[in-house]
Amino acid sequence: MSAKKEERLEAEAKASDLVQGTLEMLILKTLALEPMHGYGVALRIEQISKGVFKVNPGSLLPALSRMERCGHVKSGWRATENNRRAKYYDLTAKGRKALSQETEQWQRQIDAIARILDAEA
Amino acid sequence: MRWPANLTSGMKALFGKSRVERELDEELEGYVAASTEDKMRNGMPAKMARRAALVELGSGNAVKHQIWSSRWESALDNLLQDVRLGVRSLKKSPGFTAVALISLALGIGGNSAIFTLINQVLLRNLPVRDSRQLVAFGDSIFGGVAGGIDLGDFGGYFPWDFARQLEENPGPFQGIAAYGSFSNKASVRPPTVAGQTAPAALATVNLVSGNYFSVLGAEPMLGRTIVSADDGATGSGAVVVLSYRFWRETLSSDPAVVGKTISLNGAPFEVVGVMPEAFHGFRQELEPTGMWTPISMQPVVLQQPTMLLPHSGLYFLHIFGRLSAQAASNKTAFAASQNWLNEQVHAGVRATEGGTITPARQAEIERIHVPLVPAAQGVSLIRSQYGESLKILMAVVGMVLLIACANLANFLLARTATRQREISTRLALGSSRARIVRQSLIETLLLSLTGGVLGLGFAFLATRMLIAFVSQGNWDIAMSPAPNREVVLFTMGVSLATALLFGLVPAVVAARVGKRGSLNTSARTAHGGGGRGSRIWPKTLVSAQVMLSLLLLVGAGLLLRTLRNLENQDYGFERTHVLLADFNPKLAGYAPHDTPALHQTLLERLATIPGVRSVALSATPPISGGAWSSNIEPGGYRPGPKENMVSVLNRVSGEYFETAGIPIVAGRAITATDTANSLKVAVVSEEIARKYYPHGDAIGHMVKLGIDSVEGPWEIVGIARDTKSGNPRDTDPVRMTYIPLAQIDALMPYAPKTADGAGAGPAREENQDRYANTILLRTTGDPARVIGDLRAAVTAINPNLPLLRITTMREQVSNLIANDELISTLTMLFAGLALLLAAIGLYGVMSYNVVERTNEIGVRIALGAQVNTVLWMVLRESLVLLAIGVALGLPLTFAVTKRIEDQLFGLSARDPLSFAAAIAVVCGMTLLAAWIPARRAAKVDPLTALRYE
Repeated sequence: MSAKKEERLEAEAKASDLVQGTLEMLILKTLALEPMHGYGVALRIEQISKGVFKVNPGSLLPALSRMERCGHVKSGWRATENNRRAKYYDLTAKGRKALSQETEQWQRQIDAIARILDAEA
Repeated sequence: MRWPANLTSGMKALFGKSRVERELDEELEGYVAASTEDKMRNGMPAKMARRAALVELGSGNAVKHQIWSSRWESALDNLLQDVRLGVRSLKKSPGFTAVALISLALGIGGNSAIFTLINQVLLRNLPVRDSRQLVAFGDSIFGGVAGGIDLGDFGGYFPWDFARQLEENPGPFQGIAAYGSFSNKASVRPPTVAGQTAPAALATVNLVSGNYFSVLGAEPMLGRTIVSADDGATGSGAVVVLSYRFWRETLSSDPAVVGKTISLNGAPFEVVGVMPEAFHGFRQELEPTGMWTPISMQPVVLQQPTMLLPHSGLYFLHIFGRLSAQAASNKTAFAASQNWLNEQVHAGVRATEGGTITPARQAEIERIHVPLVPAAQGVSLIRSQYGESLKILMAVVGMVLLIACANLANFLLARTATRQREISTRLALGSSRARIVRQSLIETLLLSLTGGVLGLGFAFLATRMLIAFVSQGNWDIAMSPAPNREVVLFTMGVSLATALLFGLVPAVVAARVGKRGSLNTSARTAHGGGGRGSRIWPKTLVSAQVMLSLLLLVGAGLLLRTLRNLENQDYGFERTHVLLADFNPKLAGYAPHDTPALHQTLLERLATIPGVRSVALSATPPISGGAWSSNIEPGGYRPGPKENMVSVLNRVSGEYFETAGIPIVAGRAITATDTANSLKVAVVSEEIARKYYPHGDAIGHMVKLGIDSVEGPWEIVGIARDTKSGNPRDTDPVRMTYIPLAQIDALMPYAPKTADGAGAGPAREENQDRYANTILLRTTGDPARVIGDLRAAVTAINPNLPLLRITTMREQVSNLIANDELISTLTMLFAGLALLLAAIGLYGVMSYNVVERTNEIGVRIALGAQVNTVLWMVLRESLVLLAIGVALGLPLTFAVTKRIEDQLFGLSARDPLSFAAAIAVVCGMTLLAAWIPARRAAKVDPLTALRYE
């Protein structure tokens, strides 16, 4: 357990920075699976990335608020599995479209970057 | 969510801020709880898990703040917060706020008031198509009938036949139209309603050529305008177009008025159209025109048919034209139009002179130039009369506002200094400098916008008073005090500019304050030692205020002395105890042959009014804006070539000279014994006697007048003192010729020529120049007190005989210098206001300095400084500022007053008295404003002062 904690701390140290501008895309992707509350999103991102990305609430919650404002997600209060009231976020149609666009764009970018790096090597 | 939804949710958040706050709290709490549970599931003890979760979250408030600032409403919220803070801090110092608001309201209000007038008088274009193409032929400012002049002389007078000729052949112009140079009062009877005859009203009627409206490009609101077909043969075309105002006020906005018949001087006219509200005609007179009729109806309106005869020799029309599109934009084309006009005028003059013209005269005719005056704004008597004054007043109120701004800047600077600690604290707590500058600017904006709103109210009242003044109590004037869009925009602009002017420096100084980051206990010392900038600014501003005050005071002094000079000069007649009344027997239905009996009745009846010493009748008062004048031929004098022989004329009853108080210096006056049956006599002014009879032998000579109806010859029997007769600013003596009313012939000397110039013409007309239009009463006491009796007496003679205007002689004179009165009074008022503001400013700065230096002064006194030394120390500082202000202000004043030299009368722009008085007043003000804080400094108790801090 202590080993795990250490590893986690290390991951934290490494993972504090997301690639600039990807947070919203990651949130969109996460929410595309199912509606969830803020912590759920943070946890899911961390889990799926195997601890590489760790999103702290100070950037997650403002990002969600921003996305709600531009209509990519909608929110509502619902009971959690532990019967606690929590604010759940869900993707809107517009959000879905934004996700596919951003994913596509991102894919193009990393392909390009990969090609450059390959050429270098 | 699109922007409307975004907007609504933002607004909701803004107004339901506590609910949003609660939700955020709940969400954060939920987040922490979920995080804790998760950590516990991973085996962390409950307490540790919660702590770890809280650590991950960091400061809940910071997160909330971040969420909040990710939304647009946060910017607005911050702004509101700043506004609230601003309002609070202004409320904390009510004294400052009140002074600031009052000075701003007065400053901005003054600007708005003058601008309201400038906008209406100087800026507004005629509400017609392409008004830039319109040009007046000559300045067309004054109106009247002239004879024996050249075409277009005296600012643009033309006879009917010449105008007609241009109208038909406009050459390079798109069109040329003419209109009566003066409007006439006519008695109007509105259409009968339900069998009841409506009472007659007086309306101002302007004669216009048939193409007047089409050349102007003015569209009617109802019906049609006058067209060329209306302006045909003399006496035809009995149609009338009404002004909006007349339609609304006299006809109660009757929507079906077009086609109805109204009676004008007893003749029926068909109403063919109504003009829109904004249209006042090409020439705007003080009294708005009520209706327009074709020139062909002149015999009915003016009742002087000879005017419309070819070669009548009567010049009573003004002309304007619409330039071609090229001429309006291209100088060469414009010059071509100008040349064309001059050629027409030259040809016209030659045709009038006929016969052989001497080469000298030929050359003279070639030099006649009738300028094309751009008239996009039409022609306005008010503009030419008050335009210059309004510009001066605008500069004056601008300066007052500058002084007010300097004051506010000073106050804000002082406040910034006292708020240094607050600012340092805010900076230390992480506020950005931009936010502090913004906060400070918002405060100034609050002040200036509130001041602007108050100023708008003040401007409305002030404009009402100004218009009342300009219109001389005649409310029937085409000007409105109500602020329109331009005025409101102007006021907003001035308020914003003001805020920037007085707010920026303090704001920047405020933001710089924190640079030293002084949170030490002695912020005061830090300020005293450091802020060279914050010390030099107040002094600069005070010196500038002194400078501007000096300028305003000198200007006010010069204008006030001008007014005094105008008032106190020798007018040649007496101004006390004389009452004047204008009346119009022609409108009341008296024919020229009725006048002798009417005049006799009036003279006899009015003489019985208690308190009346003598009564006289005349054509015009001894002094008035308009004049009856013509060339004269003094017997035995041989005039030089083209010598100006114009004399102002007046026809008077017996006792005129006695009643008006004009002394007879030689010979005798005109008396009641000069009747139609006795020898025709005349009295001339000293100037005529001096000029034409230098050997003192004027009496006994004959004089002939250039107007057919009163040609004479008249034998000179007396010489009257020179009087002012028109513009009180004229310094050259006026040539005056007086003839007896009773001796004017009953009929015109010649029968009018027929159109073809042959055959037996119509019979000789009655002489229209037999009417008297002014009653003069010399009273024993206050002339205003016999007004009631005068009205009663005239009504007793004929209830339909209208007395149009009753004034005392004193008022008559002061009306003629009303412009000077207005400008000097207002400049004085504003200069006084400026002085007061400057005094408050100086007092504020000096008091603040004393408070600032209490410590130092205490030490000085404790170390043995004398009271007088301390007093002098503080005073000296003010005196230096005064000296700088005056030293810089004098050259500025010299330069500026030079530009208003035209407005002055009887003194130069460097009048030493005005300068001395202004300097004395400014010095007095400075000493007074500095004395009080200096006394306070001298009274500082060293013990208190040393403990102070």
